[in-house]
Amino acid sequence: MLGHKLKNFLDSEFNLRKQADELGVRVWETPSFLFIVMGFVILVAMAGVYFISNNYDSPDVLVISESTVVVILFTIGNFIIRSVDQVTRANKMKTEFIAVASHQLKTPIAEINWQIELLLSKFPGGLSEKQQLLIGQIAHSSQKMARLVGDLLDVVRIDQGRLAMTNETLDLCALVAEAITNHRPLAIASGVQLQSACPVEAAKVLIDKKRMGVVLDNLLSNAIKYTNKGGKVEVFLETRDNLVQVCVRDNGVGIPAKEQSDIFKKFFRSNNSMKSSTDGTGLGLYIAKNILEQSGGKLWFKSLENVGSDFFFSLPVIKN
Amino acid sequence: MSKKILIIEDDLVLQNSLDEFLKAEGFETIVAIDGEIGVQKALTEKPDLILLDIVLPKKSGYEVLQEVKENEKTARVPIILLTNLGSLSDVEKALGLGATTYLVKADYSLDEITKKIKEILNLK
Repeated sequence: MLGHKLKNFLDSEFNLRKQADELGVRVWETPSFLFIVMGFVILVAMAGVYFISNNYDSPDVLVISESTVVVILFTIGNFIIRSVDQVTRANKMKTEFIAVASHQLKTPIAEINWQIELLLSKFPGGLSEKQQLLIGQIAHSSQKMARLVGDLLDVVRIDQGRLAMTNETLDLCALVAEAITNHRPLAIASGVQLQSACPVEAAKVLIDKKRMGVVLDNLLSNAIKYTNKGGKVEVFLETRDNLVQVCVRDNGVGIPAKEQSDIFKKFFRSNNSMKSSTDGTGLGLYIAKNILEQSGGKLWFKSLENVGSDFFFSLPVIKN
Repeated sequence: MSKKILIIEDDLVLQNSLDEFLKAEGFETIVAIDGEIGVQKALTEKPDLILLDIVLPKKSGYEVLQEVKENEKTARVPIILLTNLGSLSDVEKALGLGATTYLVKADYSLDEITKKIKEILNLK
């Protein structure tokens, strides 16, 4: 057990090639490599000082040898600082690039979406059914693009701890019902049954409506997408003490046990999900978990490969 | 009597979409293409609600918001910040300056924005 843990630690902390790839630097520039070198130099220096102090009476030799060690340590320290600085700058540039690019992309996306909406809802006269259908498909593609750009921007904000929420008191039951209605066409197209059960009394929660929509959309679309034709997706909602708990259950492909610990990591997609659908960025669950945690709730799951998955989330209930 | 909405938006495509949609929904609309004209129109036209972008020429949306809220004549006019900036600091700053709410353009449809306006103005 201890050996296994030590191996995992060494694999994660001292896999220099992997670290160099992740940080975009050369192997000898990775902080771990420089740390190992520094440790080695310290050990050699200690042995050297011990040897010198035992064999030479002259303090000059001792001072020169210690000065040499200090210079070497300073040089390595400088490399470590430069390496960390380089990585930090690269990370900051990447974050800024995504933020600026996403923001700049949002304006044309809003322009396309609003003009299509204006055309279809207020000026549909003269358009044939086929033309309206095609314009509707353009709108759908544009909304998908808006979602992708929004996800990328949200990930950057989550990483910076700056995800904005405009909370209001809402009935979670009504939000679930709305999400079910929105996903009904996808379920029908996929040949999957979609059912839900809500308690009679409303479950009031303090939440950002749009962001809650993102959470429900992620859980429901995943459940439908990874359930085979003829399968079933059920949504249960129950209030317990001061919490409301929602379960999205499917009898789909499930998540392999060895991949379950990675499921909430950003950009992670399990092998099973890749086989079922190539569509997806691996950001949805990472974002959903962060939205719920920022709202005082949590998200977790149980899953068995080829049996199905239960995704649960809970939120504090607002009393009248 | 229809309610008057002032749209302060420098992107002409977005401005036109909002303008046309709200007119079709029965609102009276006025438009302003920069922050300076926006403040003037807020004072002279006495709108019932203002839709305000943040990134604007001449005066930013924050400056417009501050001036409108500091003026006795317009202080009570509800203002919806309508922007594509959506970080926590942007939202906090806008709400701190007195905005009624904050909507990210790319995340909201025209219909959803209209519903929000009706909700704020207590219209059915």
